[in-house]
Amino acid sequence: MNITQINLTIAQMLDYTTPILFAALCGVLSESSGVVNIGLDGIMRFGAFFGLLGAFFSHSPWIGLLLGIAIGCLVGALHAFITIKWNGDQTVSGTAINVIATGLMTYLLEYVFSTTGYSPQLQNYFGAQAYRVHLPFLAKVPLLGAFSDLSVMIWFGFICTVLMHVLLYHTVLGLRIRTCGENPKAATTLGINVFRVRWFAVIAGAALAGIGGAALSISSFSGFSDSMPNGVGFIGLAAMIFGKWTPFGALGAALLFGTGQIVQSLIAVTGIAPKLAPGLTLILPYVLTLAVLAGFVSRSIAPAADGMPYYKEQR
Amino acid sequence: MKALEVRSISKMFPGNLANDNISFSVEKGEIFAIVGENGAGKSTLMNIIYGIYTPSGGDLLVNEKEVKIRSVEDAIKLRMGMVHQEFMLIPRFTVTQNIVIGDEPHKGIFFDYGRAVREVRELSERVSLTVDATAVAGDLPVGVQQRIEILKVLRRGAQILIFDEPTAVLTPEETVDLFVTMRKLQAEGKTILFISHKLKEVMEIADRIAVLRRGKLQGIVNKKDTNEEELARMMVGRNVVLEIPKVDVEVGAVAFACHDLHVRNKRGYETVKGMSFDVRGGEIVGIAGVQGNGQDELVNAMIGFSHPVSGSMELNGKNMRLVTTAQLRKEGMSYITEDRARRGLVMPYTVRENAVMGQHLGRPFSKGIRMDYDKLAEFAEGKVREYDIRPGDVYDTAGSLSGGNQQKLILARELSLPHNFLIASQPTRGLDVGATEFVYHKLLEEKKAGKAILLISLELSEILGLSDRILVIFEGHIVGETTPDKTTEEALGLLMLGVGIDKKVQS
Ligand SMILES: Nc1ncnc2c1ncn2[C@@H]1O[C@H](COP(=O)(O)OP(=O)(O)O)[C@@H](O)[C@H]1O
Ligand SMILES: [Mg+2]
Repeated sequence: MNITQINLTIAQMLDYTTPILFAALCGVLSESSGVVNIGLDGIMRFGAFFGLLGAFFSHSPWIGLLLGIAIGCLVGALHAFITIKWNGDQTVSGTAINVIATGLMTYLLEYVFSTTGYSPQLQNYFGAQAYRVHLPFLAKVPLLGAFSDLSVMIWFGFICTVLMHVLLYHTVLGLRIRTCGENPKAATTLGINVFRVRWFAVIAGAALAGIGGAALSISSFSGFSDSMPNGVGFIGLAAMIFGKWTPFGALGAALLFGTGQIVQSLIAVTGIAPKLAPGLTLILPYVLTLAVLAGFVSRSIAPAADGMPYYKEQR
Repeated sequence: MKALEVRSISKMFPGNLANDNISFSVEKGEIFAIVGENGAGKSTLMNIIYGIYTPSGGDLLVNEKEVKIRSVEDAIKLRMGMVHQEFMLIPRFTVTQNIVIGDEPHKGIFFDYGRAVREVRELSERVSLTVDATAVAGDLPVGVQQRIEILKVLRRGAQILIFDEPTAVLTPEETVDLFVTMRKLQAEGKTILFISHKLKEVMEIADRIAVLRRGKLQGIVNKKDTNEEELARMMVGRNVVLEIPKVDVEVGAVAFACHDLHVRNKRGYETVKGMSFDVRGGEIVGIAGVQGNGQDELVNAMIGFSHPVSGSMELNGKNMRLVTTAQLRKEGMSYITEDRARRGLVMPYTVRENAVMGQHLGRPFSKGIRMDYDKLAEFAEGKVREYDIRPGDVYDTAGSLSGGNQQKLILARELSLPHNFLIASQPTRGLDVGATEFVYHKLLEEKKAGKAILLISLELSEILGLSDRILVIFEGHIVGETTPDKTTEEALGLLMLGVGIDKKVQS
């Protein structure tokens, strides 16, 4: 492989990484406040479809992104309503969102575009030349060259990681979010409104999952496919755990899983292992996810009150 | 001036009237104690005053003005502060973070940790409560954690301070320190509500004392005009027999015996270093010792949680050194634990389920893979009546019971299992007078029935009152054996501290 090919491979790896990263950041924010959101895979599916929808009809990926964020907030609000307002089981609510997303998007795809399987292709998407961030001065530098021509969504992912870190560890709100995730009762005794903080964290997190979904349909790809998000949301949850519920940890884990994806497509494209059935290489990223989780879950520590409903007069 | 007045406050929990029409007032600068047995409703009342629970009825007045306290924020604005019975700390956060959450020094939206640390240091110096501002809270001893809680409250400018059973978790020395702090706060004009069920402490620190029993206010007395006996009577509602009656039983065969037992703790250190003793039917053998001298590891080995490194252990003549807890139980071991939450009960399960746990397999409680829940309920209802477990609904979760009732539930289960050897590990820890008396009564009944009982306790009065023989342990060794009539609390206390022990015995 020459330099250009390596750069291209890295760029593609970052393309894979970004949706995983957004999913993981959604998980980090939501679970830091104590609410588990396994519905984030479904929220990504919403984000992917509505992102495409916005971009398709407005011919601008930015409108698509906004629509993706909006739908993320909306579905997030549903999850918050069920789990925070009514103390519903967080796993059940998340699963329901995933199931609804599966059926509803398939239906909407057929209803809006009268097609099955794939939406029409976009001309204007974040992966297109016109929407990339060009940094020509980096092009000649080895390795960094990969960063000279990336989709704006990838940079957005990095920026969100930094912002999330600042939010959680350097702001007053972040300290309160983490307090609610560690000990909601203590938060109450300090005069913090646990419900308000959790509402915020769940909805803001879901907005990120919506962005992650849009990153699939209007950045990595130029259209919506009915199989989206292909379990990326769950891989994102794994990245969150592997990253010990921290933004930078999540970034590192997402990069690892992104690498898994790229290795899988390299195997497929280069034919290094012709004897392997093509379907078998496809599962590589997921096997990697499982292996990592099996090895690390026991060693990472979730927020102490993660996943526990809270009501005020509980003991 | 009245700093706080409570008028006809009631609180109804589902099926349980926790506070029943309670009225009293507290003068500014007073230390006002509220005593009552576990479950009397003390914490509930304090949580209402502090805005965590909403009362079902009644009014609150602060500084002689009627107020509505709908949330903790309201209470804090009225300059109230509460040190909770269970500490409200976040173990992962630093001392400073814990103290400032909710009212953080900030620059715009950013948390100013540096300034927070400085503020905490200043405050800690000013009120002479020493803490390491940057230490991680979870690593600190309980005494220090409590200081964090007090600092938290003082930082918010509290004038009315509520201490909910602050001494329950403290060592005697830490309690002395706490009382010094409380007196200092009182001298500064702060009003203190002090909750306890230890009468000795209340008589030492309080100006006036209110007694609660089963949600009702029994009366308010001046410290000067009362004594421990009167308070105990008001608390329990009858004369309390603090004397433990003597029961003589003919001693039977050896039930449990161990020889040269060596046990390691979780971190791999040997903490039981060669103990040998036996327990016979119809006798109570007491193990006295300061906490952390091998009691926990000894019990763990005896109940099959860990295997001894070497030495022998026999139950009814059978070798039990490397067996499981299930096998020990089958051979006739029962176990009462002080750790009700983690070992004794499954808190989210109902009374009904907890009552049969361990004998739920096979008839009469299950057939094949099917549990017979009606049988469970029937059995549990019988036990609830026999042991007077309150509130008495077998569908309540174990976690919703007060500590005393939880302990009764454990007793009910363990004593109904077929057994001839009972391990009672600090069976009265955290219990009030009434429940303690109940446990003593049951242990003596067991003795009369010819069971062998090993009693591990940190309370010397309990060891002296109940035991037929006393073994004193120190640093993993049995350093002395005696009987209650041949020793005193003082002599035992010295022995427990290793005073006058031949060094050779130890090594
Ligand atoms: N949050 C709650 N929900 C339901 N019942 C409760 C709750 N808190 C306390 N209780 C019940 O109210 C009664 C009084 O409890 P509590 O105020 O904790 O007593 P104390 O502090 O005097 O030991 C007990 O019977 C207890 O089971
Ligand atoms: Mg209490």
